[in-house]
Amino acid sequence: MKIYETGFLLAPNLSEDDTEKLITQMADVISQREGKLIKQERWGRHRMAYSIKRWSEAFYVFLHYEGRPDIPLELERRFKQTDAVLRYLTLQKEAQESTRRKRKKNAPPEPKEAAAEPRPAGQESGEEVK
Amino acid sequence: MEKPSYRKFFPPKRKFCRFCQRNIRDIDYKNVDILRKYVPERGKIAPRRVTGTCAYHQRKLATAIKRARLMAMLPYLED
Repeated sequence: MKIYETGFLLAPNLSEDDTEKLITQMADVISQREGKLIKQERWGRHRMAYSIKRWSEAFYVFLHYEGRPDIPLELERRFKQTDAVLRYLTLQKEAQESTRRKRKKNAPPEPKEAAAEPRPAGQESGEEVK
Repeated sequence: MEKPSYRKFFPPKRKFCRFCQRNIRDIDYKNVDILRKYVPERGKIAPRRVTGTCAYHQRKLATAIKRARLMAMLPYLED
């Protein structure tokens, strides 16, 4: 299972219902294929830096999801068919561990982090770091 | 003809990689406000020698800006 992030722009002439319908359709694709929708971001109508298909603004939507690689393929196939989708972009999220980070950690001994004493496990439940 | 004055955006003092400073590893293309600081006036990507960004983050930054351009969040060129 991989984590993907797909963003797409919808034409501004769609009615709110149509926009809603399109987005849920795309979200359904994910759930149908045993994917998990992690997060849905909607920026709403946003001015674009340049015009696409004579539109100067667009409805920005971003879907974060986890699943098999056929999900982004299917999504992109649908984007191509739908005229209302102006642009789309799918990214595969990188694994959290980065080689650079590791190397940095190993190189210098870190006095700061070592100095901060780990708290006893029982007391941590109250706090949640956002 | 006047050269684009990057100096106006990045004064010569205090040059360091702002991403390293904040310990940011990946630069998100959706973060347009941050990206905008690295594409002055003309919409070109500011060079490292001007911004002081490290090589690693400059690479990440360049891809992020290019992605943002594709999604029409940043202009390809501004005149």
